[in-house]
Amino acid sequence: MRRLLLLVSLLSCAPSQGRDSFVLTVALWGRLGQLHPINQEGEIVAVASPWVFEKLASIDATGNLRPVFATSVERVSGSRLRVSLRRESTFSDGTPVTDADVVRSLSGHHLQIQSPEHGVLLVEASEPGVSAEMQLTEANIFREVNGRFLGSGPFVVASENDGEVRLVRRRTERARVNEVRLIAYPTPRQAFQHTLKGDANMIVELEPRTIEILDGVPSLRVLREPGHTADAVMFNTRLSRAERVAIAGALNSEQVRELAYESGACTESREAHPEQPPMIPSGPALDVLSWGPFDRLAMSARRGLAERGGEVVSLPVQEVLNRVHSGQFDMIPARPLMWPPSVMVRIWHTGGPDNLTGYSNKTVDAALDAGDWAAARAAMLEDPPAALICTRERIAVVDARIKNAMLGPWELLETLPEWEVSQ
Amino acid sequence: MTNRRRIALQLTALVAACGVVPLVLLAVFGLQILRRRGEGASQEALHAIAEQAAARIATYIAQQREMLRALAMAVGTQTDVERRLADVSLDAPSLGKLRLVSADSPTGARPRALKPEQIAAALRGTEVASDTYIVELSPAMDVCVPSGKRGTAVCATLDLLELQRQVQRIRVGEQGYALAFDRGGRLVAAGSGAMRAAVLSGEPVPESPLAAGLVNGTPAPARLRNGEGRDVLAGWASLTNLGWTIAVEQPAEEALRGARTALQFLGGGAAVILMASIAIGYFFARRMLAALELEERFRTAGRIAAGVTHDLGHRLTILRQIEQLAAMNDPDYLPRIRDALASEVITLRRFVTDFSDLTREAKPQDFIPIELNAFAESILANAQGYANEAKVGLEVEKAPSELWIRGDRYLLERAALNLTRNAIEASKPGAAVRLRVDRSDGQAVLAVQDQGAGIAPDRIDTLFDSFSSTKRSGVHLGMGLPNVRRIVVAHGGLISVKSKVGEGTTFRLALPANGNQSSSPSAPATMP
Repeated sequence: MRRLLLLVSLLSCAPSQGRDSFVLTVALWGRLGQLHPINQEGEIVAVASPWVFEKLASIDATGNLRPVFATSVERVSGSRLRVSLRRESTFSDGTPVTDADVVRSLSGHHLQIQSPEHGVLLVEASEPGVSAEMQLTEANIFREVNGRFLGSGPFVVASENDGEVRLVRRRTERARVNEVRLIAYPTPRQAFQHTLKGDANMIVELEPRTIEILDGVPSLRVLREPGHTADAVMFNTRLSRAERVAIAGALNSEQVRELAYESGACTESREAHPEQPPMIPSGPALDVLSWGPFDRLAMSARRGLAERGGEVVSLPVQEVLNRVHSGQFDMIPARPLMWPPSVMVRIWHTGGPDNLTGYSNKTVDAALDAGDWAAARAAMLEDPPAALICTRERIAVVDARIKNAMLGPWELLETLPEWEVSQ
Repeated sequence: MTNRRRIALQLTALVAACGVVPLVLLAVFGLQILRRRGEGASQEALHAIAEQAAARIATYIAQQREMLRALAMAVGTQTDVERRLADVSLDAPSLGKLRLVSADSPTGARPRALKPEQIAAALRGTEVASDTYIVELSPAMDVCVPSGKRGTAVCATLDLLELQRQVQRIRVGEQGYALAFDRGGRLVAAGSGAMRAAVLSGEPVPESPLAAGLVNGTPAPARLRNGEGRDVLAGWASLTNLGWTIAVEQPAEEALRGARTALQFLGGGAAVILMASIAIGYFFARRMLAALELEERFRTAGRIAAGVTHDLGHRLTILRQIEQLAAMNDPDYLPRIRDALASEVITLRRFVTDFSDLTREAKPQDFIPIELNAFAESILANAQGYANEAKVGLEVEKAPSELWIRGDRYLLERAALNLTRNAIEASKPGAAVRLRVDRSDGQAVLAVQDQGAGIAPDRIDTLFDSFSSTKRSGVHLGMGLPNVRRIVVAHGGLISVKSKVGEGTTFRLALPANGNQSSSPSAPATMP
């Protein structure tokens, strides 16, 4: 009897191989890249960044800052923020994270940083068009040791090559995802195909029409969350304010959305703009530059312009950028970030790093500087830099055994470490 | 198990075998026919669904091409045809990107799935269409129609996502689905989620060669194993012009569920009815047997009473005569009275012994080995006195070797002595009675043969029935031969009789031979 009890005790203490062997395999496409904490733009492996490298803050579902490595973030005056740091955090090699590590991690993010006391930082944007809040959500906390980057997040990279990155949780947790494989396929179609085949059990950034193909696949379920970007038609600021107001009203219409997108692709409701938009003033025909995936939107916008509709000119991306920088365009489709509200500083503030069309409005700038997003939006309605047409959803498909999977609210898969796996 | 229960079960089984088994067989054949009919009906239904789907797909393609022809004729000759075509594609997204193709169009601007000779034909004014192919995630088809302007054609890449949707929407029951294949057997749309990866990868599925064969006129099977190894029923239809094949499949398990449920229901019902009939039959058979047994007991009691009344009445008459002699108080009669009383005592003792034999049961656990030759000698020794009185010869004819049986020696002796005494009584003075021991067909046989008057043939059949004796002289309850048969049967043996009137009778006891055994104690039997 004693031996039996001992055996039962041992069995209950031993980790269950089957129970914890769930592996989440994410199908991606394009260049995978290597996971590191600095400037991973264009590398799809960046989707794993929040699991390995913590940030001081992220953004919650309401668009406000949510402390991550920081324990609190307070606005002390103007754009200056007071950041209290979490203590007793360690990097993946077990060494503690110091204030100096955090300050070093924030360098290169256009911030002025002071450390008035241990565990506290005063942070302020060092140049116009930079949002200190947004920088806190982008800077990864790390330490470089012998050419390797250590993070303080719950996962570490176990192995990586050109086609696959394998990450494992630093401390195994029951009923959680403890191992993640990121596999890069050459094309979206191949990624999707391998997901359907069962080689992967998650795929992200799907087009709405692909969801139909997943009907009747019980092992997968669809995740849909509001997107952070909107398909828009940006204006050349030499168009008069009256023209831009009228054109924005005409293009932000259900008619244009129905022409440009499949039914249900946009989250805008049909009743969003019930009032009749002002007539577009007469004038010369307006051309629409088209590029990449925006052919239908460009043609739909041209039809929305009615008598003012000119040509739709399809060009390679680089040429489009050249024309935009030189001001040789009337209108151009783009997909700017629209959420969280603080991102407006980067896109619409005079001289903002992502302000491609050179939009400038003093009232908007003042509101953005004060962090008054509602006032900034109101001012932009009076002087629109673009016609916002369609907010797209973020769509992913994930293994149906994961109970609380969700996208966002800020970075696409930032909540993955908290996902629970059905036993 | 008591005799009554065993007989009741046998009766019940007989009734069941005669009445229910034919019904069950009939039901099995009927259900088999039902199952086959059900499968045929399911296959016909799947075929009809496939035909409907094929018709819808053909109609959809025809509509798209008709729309393209109408648009081409409407705008093909306009000066700003390119812009108009681009504008039109906004209103008809299923036509994909529309473009005007001429001999000068660069390769990249030409439909990719059309061969150069097809494009040349299109530029000469012939409508041409490609086979279907997969673009991104859905099937597509390139079509060029005359533009109305010499040397140009309006070309479109039809987005056949709607066809994919149509195929995916087809549901048969809970698990039935449709598949669409192109001319080469490539899966282009699948209602089964598990097979959709093959749509994108182009990998063949088990149905691929069947679909390709159907386009070429080879019939496809109506039952097969699908890619998951499941047994499925299938209905097929082909679109000759498009080169597509539609297969509608449903797992046989689900398709035949109705027939199987009926089969189970009827089979279960038949089993329940059979069990119920057996139970009822058993119940009533036992009741009837009990009633019959009771009646038989009364009849037996009556026969016993008649026999006892007759025999004891006879004895009472003799005793009354002795009493009358005694009442005369004549000393000369005393010896006669003494002899008569002694004789009556012997007679009544035998009477009691006969009854006593009837109550003794043979118990196999008490059986002992008995050598039959020695046993016959013992019987001879015991009956010799009685034979001498009757002036009848008595002899034993032994088997050439020892012959062993197992049994209750007392009961077997009662049986053998009974037969021997009957034989002596049936023999005339000077005749002989022979006890013959023999082995026959693995049985040990003891035959008792006399040279008496024989038994009338009409009595042979009732010879072993109780109280059927006709002797009725002296003490003869009529239980002798029935008791002999009871004893032999209790030993697993058989008794038979052969008799010829005027020549004699032979009773034959056949008992299971039991190999060589050690000698049995041969306690002498006593003549009753």
